[in-house]
Amino acid sequence: MQAILNRTNPTDARRRAIVTLAGFLFTAIPALAQVDFSGEWSPRFHEDQPERVPGPELGDYLGLPINTAARMRADTWDASLLTLPEWQCRPHSADYIWRGPSQVRIWKEVDPVTREIKAWHAEWLRSIDRPIYMDGRPHPPEYAAHSWAGFSTGKWEGDMLTITTTHLKEGYIRRNGMPRSDMATLVEHWMRHGNFLTVVTIVTDPVYLTEPFVRSTDYELDTHQQIPPYPCEMVQEIERAKGVVPHRLPGANTMLNEFPERHHLPVEPARGGAETMYPEYRKKLSATKPVTPPAAAQKSGDGEVHVLPVQGNVYMLAGAGANITVESGKNGVVLLVDSGTAQMSGKVLAAIRTLTDKPVRKIINTSLDPDHTGGNETIASSGSTITGGNVAGDIADAAEGAAVVAHENVLLRMSKPPAAGQPAIPFRALPTETYHNEGLKLSEMFNGEVVEVFGQPSAHTDGDSLVYFRQSDVISTGDLFDTTAYPSIDLDRGGSIHGIIDGLNRILDLAAPSFRMEGGTRIIPGHGRLCDSADVAYYRDMVTVIRDRIQDMLKRGMTLEQVKAAKPTADYDPRYGSGDKFVEAIYKSLTFSR
Amino acid sequence: LKRYIRASRSAASRRRGYSVKVTFASVALLFAASQLSLIAQQPGRAGRGAQPPQTARESAPRDLTGYWVSIVTEDWRYRMVTPAKGDYPGLPLNAEARKVADSWDPAKDEAAGNQCKAYGAPAIMRVPGRFHITWQDDNTLGIEADNGMQTRLLHFGQRPLPGTAPQNEPGWQGESWAQWEFAGGARGRAAPGQKRDGMLSVVTTHMRPGYLRKNGVPYSAYATLTEYFTRTEEPNGDSWLFVTTIVEDPVYLTGPFITSTHFKKTPDEAGWDPTPCSAK
Repeated sequence: MQAILNRTNPTDARRRAIVTLAGFLFTAIPALAQVDFSGEWSPRFHEDQPERVPGPELGDYLGLPINTAARMRADTWDASLLTLPEWQCRPHSADYIWRGPSQVRIWKEVDPVTREIKAWHAEWLRSIDRPIYMDGRPHPPEYAAHSWAGFSTGKWEGDMLTITTTHLKEGYIRRNGMPRSDMATLVEHWMRHGNFLTVVTIVTDPVYLTEPFVRSTDYELDTHQQIPPYPCEMVQEIERAKGVVPHRLPGANTMLNEFPERHHLPVEPARGGAETMYPEYRKKLSATKPVTPPAAAQKSGDGEVHVLPVQGNVYMLAGAGANITVESGKNGVVLLVDSGTAQMSGKVLAAIRTLTDKPVRKIINTSLDPDHTGGNETIASSGSTITGGNVAGDIADAAEGAAVVAHENVLLRMSKPPAAGQPAIPFRALPTETYHNEGLKLSEMFNGEVVEVFGQPSAHTDGDSLVYFRQSDVISTGDLFDTTAYPSIDLDRGGSIHGIIDGLNRILDLAAPSFRMEGGTRIIPGHGRLCDSADVAYYRDMVTVIRDRIQDMLKRGMTLEQVKAAKPTADYDPRYGSGDKFVEAIYKSLTFSR
Repeated sequence: LKRYIRASRSAASRRRGYSVKVTFASVALLFAASQLSLIAQQPGRAGRGAQPPQTARESAPRDLTGYWVSIVTEDWRYRMVTPAKGDYPGLPLNAEARKVADSWDPAKDEAAGNQCKAYGAPAIMRVPGRFHITWQDDNTLGIEADNGMQTRLLHFGQRPLPGTAPQNEPGWQGESWAQWEFAGGARGRAAPGQKRDGMLSVVTTHMRPGYLRKNGVPYSAYATLTEYFTRTEEPNGDSWLFVTTIVEDPVYLTGPFITSTHFKKTPDEAGWDPTPCSAK
C-alpha cells in the first residue's frame, strides 16, 4: 500500500487537496439552522403538578379561556364516562399529551439517500406514533378522517421547530371534562436548550375557546429512559344497561364548588373564562362578564365532488349532497351507497370514472331524502344490472340500468303521489329491490366483499339502512350519523330519538378500533368527514346526554316551550348549530311510547 | 513516434496541471470568500479595517422590546393568589427548603422590609403583570415589571469569571449577563438575504435570597438562574414571548427547577399599573 502511495503523482495529490478543500468548504457551510430533538425526554412537573399528576379536580377551570358551552359540558361531565368501553383506551390528544404524566420519545425519520429529515416522530407512554412531516406535504382536505394525533407539518424558524396540526379528534384541555372540539387547530413551538426541551402549545378552538389557549411544558433529557409498551384491554368495568352514557344533568352537579372551597378561592375564577388569564383579574375577582360563544364555522362545499380513498375497496365521494360511498375493485363492479343530489349526478359519474370505467351495478339508498336519492335516475341509468338466463331471457331491457336497493318504506314513500305542485319522482329513480325486515346480505360478493344492509327501525325515518362492507371494514351510516349537525329526526316519516340512539349503538357494536380507540373500522357518515368508532362514540354520547336531559325535564312536567327555553343543547350548539329542531324532535319522540 | 507520444503526454500534462491550478485557485477563492462572509455575519466581530463590532442591539436576531402581558394559564393557584403555607407540590425541594417554607411568615417579612422576596429574578417572570422591555443602551436590555416595580438589567458582553468579586451588594434582581444564541450555533448562518435568527440566553447570579413562590419557598444566595427568551409570531397576528427559567440552588433544591412562562405582546402601555411588592 505504501508503495502505491509513494507512486502517486503530484497531480493526484492536488486532486486530493481539492477534494479535501471542497469537502471542508461544504462542511463549513452547514444546512440552515436545525436542532436535534432526538432522544428520550422526561417531563418535569414543576408547573401545574396537581393537575398533571394526580389529575385536576372537578370544577377547576382556572385560567382557561373557555366559553359558556365549554363550561356547561364540563359541569355535566361525569368521570364514570371513562368506564365505557369506547373510552377506556383513549389516549390524550396531541395538544394535551404534553401536559400528561408521561415521558416522550422523539426520533427523526431521515431519507436514506438525501439524508434530509422527512419527519419527526413523537411517542408517549400511552399514545400512538405521532409523525410531524417536514417534507412540505399539504394538509388533508376537510372531509378526511381525524385522529388523536391530528395531521402535523413542521417548519424551522431558526433553531425553533414550529408545527401546525389540524384534523384532531375531539379531546380535552383539562382532563376534568373540559372539552376541546374537533374543529380546533394547534400550533406548537419546540425549543431545545441544552438538555432541556420547552414545548409551547397554542390551541385555537372556534367551538369552545374565546381566545387561543397557550401552555408551555418542560422536559429534561434522560438517556436511561425507555418507554415500555403500554397495551390496553377494554373490559366491562361496570354493569349497566346498554346505551347508558354517564353524565350529570345541568345544574345537578353539586360538587363543583368543592374545588374553590378546598383551596380558599372565590367561586368566580374557578369557573374560568379568558379574563381570568390576565393579571388585572386579581383586582376584580368578583366581576363576571358573560361570554358569548362564537358560532362554529361550518365550511360549505366548493361545488366539486372529491374522491377520498377510505380503505380496502371503498372510497368516499364528498361534495354531492350527502356523502356517497363507492365500492370498486378488481372486478370493476361498482356499488354505491346513496347517489347525492340530482344536480351533482354528472360530477358524481365523472368522479366514479376516475376510479373505474366499469358500469355501476347497484345503488343502496340509506334513506329517501333527495340528497341521498337525487342522483338515482341519472347514475342508475348509466349502469347495468348483472342478469340473464331464464330470469331475464324474455325481458330485453332487464340489464339496463343499475339496481337500486332500499328499505321497503323508501319505495313506498317515494312512489306516493306527489304533493300538489310537486313533480312525481321519475320511475327510474325508484328502488328496484327492497327488503322489509331487519336487513339483507347482498346475494353476491362485490369484489370479493360481503355487503350487508341493516335496517334501522324508526331512526332518521322509518326506512333507514346501514351498509357494512365486511372485508374492507367500512360502515356507511346514512343520516343516522352526521358530523356537521345534530341528527335529523323526521317524525312525520316515522323517525324517533330511540331509533337514532339504537342505530348509533349498533354502529359501535359493529365497529372495532385498530389501537387506542383509533382507526380500524372506518365510518362514512351521512354528512361530514370520514370517521372511526371514537367519533361515533362522541356523537352517541352527545345524543344520549341531550335525550336524558329532555327526559328529565319531561318528568318534571315541563312544556316544549319551557324545555326549549332551558337550552338543553347549549353546550353543543357551538359545534352543531341551533338545537331547537333537535330538542323538539326529542321532546315529541319521548311523548310517544316506543 | 516515441518523441511524438512524449510531447503529447507532456502537453496534456501541462493542460491538466493548468486546469488543476485554475480549479484549485477557484475553490480556494470561493472558500475564502465564503469564510469571510460567514465571519462578517458573526455579531461583534470585525476584521482589520472592517466595520466596528456590532452592538447587542444591532445584532439582535429578534426584537424583544415593547410591552408584554402575562397570560396566566398555568400555576394559576400559585400565581394569581398567594397559596397557603405548605402548598408547594411538584417542586424539587430538599428537607431544609421545606422547613423554611413551612415557617413562612409574611408579616415578619413585611416588618423586616423584605416584602419583595417573591419578586426576585428567579420568580419575577412568574409574577402576573405587565413587562416593558427596552434597550437601556446598546448593550444593556432592561426589563421593567409593573407588579412589584422591579427592574432587571441584562448586560451583554463578557461575563465576569466565577469567583470574581461583584461590585455591588446582592440585589433582588442579581447580576444578569446576556448573549444572543444564534440559530445553528457555531455552524449556523443566515438564510440568503435574511438576518440570522436566534434567541436570548441570560445567566443571573449574585442575588439576594428570596422566594420561588410567594408562600415562602426559598432560594439561596448561591442560586444560579438561567433563562432563554424566545419571541414568536403566530398566524393570527399575535406575538408571544416565551421564557424558559432554570433555577439551580445547591442549598435548597435537589435538582434544576424549570418553568416556562408566556407573555403576549400588547400594542402600548395600556394596563400598565405599577404596584409595590406585597408579602401577602
